[in-house]
Amino acid sequence: MASGFISDPPLSKKKRTNGSAKLKQIKLDVRREQWLSRVKKGCNVDSNGRMDNCPSSKHTASEENRSSCKEMTRKGEDIEGTCIQDSDSRSTINSPDRSTYSHDESSGKDFSGSSSNSISTSCSGNDSEEEDDDGCLDDWEAVADALYANDKSHSVVSESPAEHEAECRYTVLEDDKNPRVDFSKADFKSEVPESKPNRRAWKPDDTLRPRCLPNLSKQRNSPLNPNWRGSRKTVPWAWQTIIPQPSQCPICYEDLDVTDSSFLPCSCGFHLCLFCHKKILEADARCPSCRKLYDHVDGNVGLNIGAKAFCITQSCRTGTGW
Amino acid sequence: MQASRARLFKEYKEVQREKTADPDIQLVCDDSNIFKWTALIKGPSETPFEGGVFQLAFSVPEQYPLQPPQVRFLTKIFHPNVHFKTGEICLDILKNAWSPAWTLQSVCRAIIALMAHPEPDSPLNCDSGNLLRSGDVRGYQSMARMYTRLAAMPKKG
Repeated sequence: MASGFISDPPLSKKKRTNGSAKLKQIKLDVRREQWLSRVKKGCNVDSNGRMDNCPSSKHTASEENRSSCKEMTRKGEDIEGTCIQDSDSRSTINSPDRSTYSHDESSGKDFSGSSSNSISTSCSGNDSEEEDDDGCLDDWEAVADALYANDKSHSVVSESPAEHEAECRYTVLEDDKNPRVDFSKADFKSEVPESKPNRRAWKPDDTLRPRCLPNLSKQRNSPLNPNWRGSRKTVPWAWQTIIPQPSQCPICYEDLDVTDSSFLPCSCGFHLCLFCHKKILEADARCPSCRKLYDHVDGNVGLNIGAKAFCITQSCRTGTGW
Repeated sequence: MQASRARLFKEYKEVQREKTADPDIQLVCDDSNIFKWTALIKGPSETPFEGGVFQLAFSVPEQYPLQPPQVRFLTKIFHPNVHFKTGEICLDILKNAWSPAWTLQSVCRAIIALMAHPEPDSPLNCDSGNLLRSGDVRGYQSMARMYTRLAAMPKKG
């Protein structure tokens, strides 16, 4: 780095501010260094060499620039002010956000671009605002100079580490960006906490189990169990009392009214609303829970159930008729 | 038509309410069409699909829930009951064993169960089915794991 320049005492304001720019640059370098060393441990040589440079130069720079630190912060505000004031005279590229951003966040990689950018903004600001703080404008130019010089010195004095670093930075950037751009799967994975091994369906008594799921144990019992035939008449009613009645129809998710909840079209005790029952009768006419044909149940065995269902549907029909 | 829409809307609300209930399933409804859904399911553990995230596309018919939704894998998967090219799934509850009591969420659950328990006797992917039927479980698992790595895991570096 331009060591001769740093060792010079602060002669003029310009120099001093140049130094402040340098200080800022050094800070940036240090931050980048930390970042790089954190991300990539491979380039130890570069980072060490540069780390040696940085504290010493920072030392010399800090004593001369202790006072200019404040100025620097003020300068930032001023720049922002000028940018906002004559933003209309600029193109959209040099909008306030962009220019302040490029000033604050400019790093070794795109010095040339950002510095030229800042030069152009400072020039336009210079034209429009003459009574503004001179220091600010000087600072701007100085910053640009310093950045440019620094960039040069980077490339001339220590070209290979700088280049290498730039490369590192590129790769790091790419590495950093990729996962973020990546497909939503990654998001999903990060959002969802690692769950316990879970490859089974819900247990019947699981609280998370949706009410509308067909009860498989019931299904296994009802149509196939030979003992079932004898007690068919009584068990559905027993079930009706044991099984908590759903408040919603599991098919259409509408609330069950009193008529619906006393309606048991199938011996398996599966509740559903009359409307859905009618639709299912028109379609495949099988119980959604045990998949047995409704007609079979009604006609052959479940006489009183069938009768009741029949009555209810009758009353429902007449009711809708009125 | 209206009934299916109403039911899907109720299911949508249910999914929103119980978002955290099942961390293995993420059901998302299309922004503009409630008959199109997408699901992301995690491969079940202790299977070759562990660690993968598989995308499913749901196309819900207007007769839903009397008719089953059409579901297919958008993510490539090596499984005897999933067509390797089209992602079509051979699952009884999506065909003749459908019941209106099933929901999209429970269909996802059933597909996860199918991933853990393949049925090599009704294969859509004959290569995969033949590996299992000839008893080459290791071959099946390594193939399935390879495709899980290739297609269902976020790419590294």
